[in-house]
Amino acid sequence: MNSKERVIRLFKKEPIDRVPCFSGMGNVTEEGINRLGYKFAGIHLNAKQMADTAASTSKLFGYECAVVPVDLCLEAEAMGCVINVYPHAEGILYPTIKEKLIHNEEEMEISIAVDVAKRGRIPLVKEAIGLLKADIGNDTAIGTYVLGPFTLAGQVMELNDLLKLSFKKPAKVAALLDKLADVIIATAKELESAGPDYITVREMGATSDVLSPRVFKSLILPPLQKIIKEIKIPTVLHICGKTNDIVPFMMEANPTAISVEQKNDVAETRKKLGPDALIFGNFDPYNVLVAGSEELVRETMRKCIDNGVSAVWPGCDIWPTVPPVNFNAMMDEIKKYGGKK
Amino acid sequence: MPTKEEVLEKLKNGVIQYDEDACKEGANEAIAIGMDGNEAIFEGLVAGMEEVGRLFEAQEYFVPEILMCADALYAGLDILKPHCKQMDLGVKGAVVIGTVEGDVHDIGKNLVKMMFDVAGFTVYDLGRDVPLDQFVEEQLRTDSELVCLSAMMTTSMIGMPKVIEKIKARNPNVMIMIGGAPTSKELADKWGADGYAEDASNALKEAIKMVSFLKNLRAEKEAEKKG
Repeated sequence: MNSKERVIRLFKKEPIDRVPCFSGMGNVTEEGINRLGYKFAGIHLNAKQMADTAASTSKLFGYECAVVPVDLCLEAEAMGCVINVYPHAEGILYPTIKEKLIHNEEEMEISIAVDVAKRGRIPLVKEAIGLLKADIGNDTAIGTYVLGPFTLAGQVMELNDLLKLSFKKPAKVAALLDKLADVIIATAKELESAGPDYITVREMGATSDVLSPRVFKSLILPPLQKIIKEIKIPTVLHICGKTNDIVPFMMEANPTAISVEQKNDVAETRKKLGPDALIFGNFDPYNVLVAGSEELVRETMRKCIDNGVSAVWPGCDIWPTVPPVNFNAMMDEIKKYGGKK
Repeated sequence: MPTKEEVLEKLKNGVIQYDEDACKEGANEAIAIGMDGNEAIFEGLVAGMEEVGRLFEAQEYFVPEILMCADALYAGLDILKPHCKQMDLGVKGAVVIGTVEGDVHDIGKNLVKMMFDVAGFTVYDLGRDVPLDQFVEEQLRTDSELVCLSAMMTTSMIGMPKVIEKIKARNPNVMIMIGGAPTSKELADKWGADGYAEDASNALKEAIKMVSFLKNLRAEKEAEKKG
């Protein structure tokens, strides 16, 4: 069973030999970038560099996926926000939004361009998916991602205002999220047409650290349902931070799988959602994989599996400076331990 | 004329119920009846924020509510500030605060800033997505005792140790606090920072702890004066 078969069978809930180790979020490494002779700031702007870098993690470490894009600004940029890729940065800085689209409450009634999915770097990422498929697509699962509506809203307008309005004027925020859902659907469909194997919806901002489960259910769940309904390939819904109280709502969005991070008590989530739910998670990609010892990495992998994850998957993007020895330890431990449960 | 107790109650409830108008009204009344600005701030506004912290921990309040409570606090604070006597609490000074380059999130940073505003610090707020060298330059320019670095994302936290190193190299006495979801006590220790707050919620808890400390200190000093 190669890694692609393993991942695809997992999404179909068919028997597999062991728990897969992959991600739906960014997982490029400095090791990969350096070997290719690229610069981090450049890989966001060039389809071949993006695809080469994404493929390098599976080529170097046997990671069981390749994912593009690498940053989180795709949709906002296509909507007209200006991004900063920090071209002159010494180290690794992920692109951010420089210029918001909505500056006050009055500007929330936006109109979406019909060809929004043809704008910005969406065509470039689509091309990168095609290149990845041609390069490693026979053996390795190819993933891509879009943002969730609330996270995107936090990019196109001030998060501060968005949070307060979600309390003071929920109908106005709901209307905006519904429009953003259309942008996300258009983006997802465009990326889907390049033939990836799965797509992750990253709704990082809607965590229970920030919003009450009640607001999540009334405000965030409807547009998430709308988005996921429109995607044909397997979907993974990811939310950061505390999520134990909202995992049932995450399931109501009807994704193929849910993804949670280290703040989620996965054993409890497993109990709550039952043996059939696909739960991906939930190791700390920085404090364990980058800053931890090899032993901590191995221990954490075993713990994820013992707690009942369906796939060992990081809580966020894998930070590029991950030491190769730790990456290798992660893959080795999962090969050894991942079939025991 | 309202009594002192009524005014303090109005300020406190104004913060808890995120009622900016009530806080403004309470602040104006406090001045009208000749209350000390600091007393109105600490026994009214801060007392309200302490209760907000409890509601947050009990998961009755979430970040949107807290942001609204902070707005209400500032509505009162802006009016009261010019009427504050210099407090002699043994704590005074200046702080440089900002979110590091690569990060555009500033909610946690703003909650911590609120604490310093309340405590009467001079706050040099560099905003967000701040180039690392700017922290070093601003500390030198203002000779601030404290520098607070915030990052919400793992992806931007990595700049922190470089700033800490640069500032400590020029002036080892500067205290450095780091904060943000991906930070930890271990990282703070490893990078040579003097303190940390894990995330916006913890930042708030830490902020409230510090102002509560100041509040108690103030109460003690007042009691000493009377005694």
